[in-house]
Amino acid sequence: MAADIILETQQLRREFGALVAVDNVSVKIRAHTFHSIIGPNGAGKTTFFNLLSGNLKPTSGRVLFKGRDITHLPLHRTAHLGIGRSFQITNIFPNLTVVENIRLAAQALGRDNFHFWRHARHFRRYEERAAAVLDQVGLAKRADAPARTLPHGDQRKLELGMLLAPDPEVLLLDEPTAGMATEQVPELIDLIQGFQAAGNKTVLLVEHNMNVVMRVSDYITVMHYGQVLAEGTPADVTANEVVQEAYLGTLYGDVATDS
Amino acid sequence: MSLSAATSSPRTRRWQPYLAPLGLFIGLAALPFVVALLSGQSPAGVLANEAGSAKFIQGLLIEIMILAIVALSYDLVLGITGLLSFGHALFFAAGAYLTGVLLKSFGWSLGATLGLVLVSAVLQALLFGVVLPRVKGITFALVTLGLSEVFYIVVQSRELGQYTGADVGLQGVPPPDFLNPTSHRLTFYLVTLIFTFAVYLFYRLFVDSPTGRVCVAIRENENRALMLGYNTFYFKLVVLVIAAITANLAGTLHALYQPVISPNIASLNAMVDILLMTLIGGLGTLTGAPIGAAIFRLLTFFLDRWFGESASFMLGVVYVALVLFVPYGIVGTWQRRGFHLAAGRRWLLGLLTGRGDG
Repeated sequence: MAADIILETQQLRREFGALVAVDNVSVKIRAHTFHSIIGPNGAGKTTFFNLLSGNLKPTSGRVLFKGRDITHLPLHRTAHLGIGRSFQITNIFPNLTVVENIRLAAQALGRDNFHFWRHARHFRRYEERAAAVLDQVGLAKRADAPARTLPHGDQRKLELGMLLAPDPEVLLLDEPTAGMATEQVPELIDLIQGFQAAGNKTVLLVEHNMNVVMRVSDYITVMHYGQVLAEGTPADVTANEVVQEAYLGTLYGDVATDS
Repeated sequence: MSLSAATSSPRTRRWQPYLAPLGLFIGLAALPFVVALLSGQSPAGVLANEAGSAKFIQGLLIEIMILAIVALSYDLVLGITGLLSFGHALFFAAGAYLTGVLLKSFGWSLGATLGLVLVSAVLQALLFGVVLPRVKGITFALVTLGLSEVFYIVVQSRELGQYTGADVGLQGVPPPDFLNPTSHRLTFYLVTLIFTFAVYLFYRLFVDSPTGRVCVAIRENENRALMLGYNTFYFKLVVLVIAAITANLAGTLHALYQPVISPNIASLNAMVDILLMTLIGGLGTLTGAPIGAAIFRLLTFFLDRWFGESASFMLGVVYVALVLFVPYGIVGTWQRRGFHLAAGRRWLLGLLTGRGDG
């Protein structure tokens, strides 16, 4: 496994009034790995995720991508670096068709955004990319349905498809399985892992579901009260006494059933 | 589906959406002659600019088409892109006044006037563009309304009265002979007709284009569009420029056609009328805008006739009824094959508060 760091936070801190949601978190994400962040509710996972993805600005600290400071990069620039993000709340274009949701995702980083009269469907490369991604996430049959009419689980798949369409180097995923029926979760996680392994990509996953995380992750960061409690391989983390006492021992059961 | 209206496949049915408009275009071009025949005039009289039903009908349709162009341009901004602006009347009024003043007070040719109208349209859009990244949603609407109100006050000011006619309005704009709506009604009618359909056609193509699809995506979920990597500011700016040029040119037609340019075309009332036209037809449908303009023009005519002073109250009643019971407008309801009241109200509320749905 390559040891080069693709994404890094340095003393990242975010306060909401008196609450310190993320407390000087420094994490290094190695390229081409599947890295997960776990922690109980309120551990600051989502805030940390939003700081990483640029949706929130930190009170102090920095986010580095390949050594470059991206802390204050505008939201739309991040995608151009090859970072794709998805959120707990389903975030799609509800009145557009499934295929169009994905085509727009594929088109975003291309050079054809300012064509005023040629029909969008004549730009074959985005059409073909969209078709391929639809196959990949298993939504080809629903291609022409308006996105809002899909069941929740399929909307999560659509969202993942929108993420994969521009073929990003790094995927940041905040509980991609949130709200999904339990039996659908492995399918989606397998999709993500397949994408990561096949393309030698980097995935940062924020998850609630411990079983999922243990199975697919190369590295795990455990957060607790806004701080990093432990870090390492799944085996390290499971064996870590602090984690066992502070988190796994007491909360593991709760967390697993919770999700 | 409905809002994504423009997703017909290009190879199999690309020409089909244009069939009905083409038929309508030919029908409207022939209409004055048909009306002449039906009313016992000779079609040759239409060419000779004889007074009568045919000439009256052309005049009415010219007014409707000018409104339709403005409504179309507003639908592009609000209905397609989801950008809530209450300053749209400015685009129309500025085009009308600039045309009037240049032709009348400065004796410019129509060509040179059009040139400056285009430049000024782009500047107006850029002015809105300055506001754009600073305020969102309803605040953007109010700031643009403010800009438009400033124009409304300025054109009525006594200091500019010798050019603008102050609160009386700008009178006696000399149209070029070949385009004189009194002596060459048919030419003016056909020019307006061609321009209206050209605008519609271009807007249709635009909405289907890669740029247009991003604009629709911005309406649907701007934050998501940003996350995908679209710098949404530029897309909104493009839309404002296109809409400003369109509405300014409609203003030019208005200045050439009407004997008086009233300052009221820059007022909040005019803005509300534009909004009502697009609402009647159905926001985001494009086709709805001209239909809404036609209904609006006839509606105001008959409401004035039946209710006199209280006509504007009745217009308000129509407004409320429309929002409550036909939120998708005529074309939108037809495309959705039903009324869907609750969803429609939520959708409309989302658009009118600059939030979008989802």
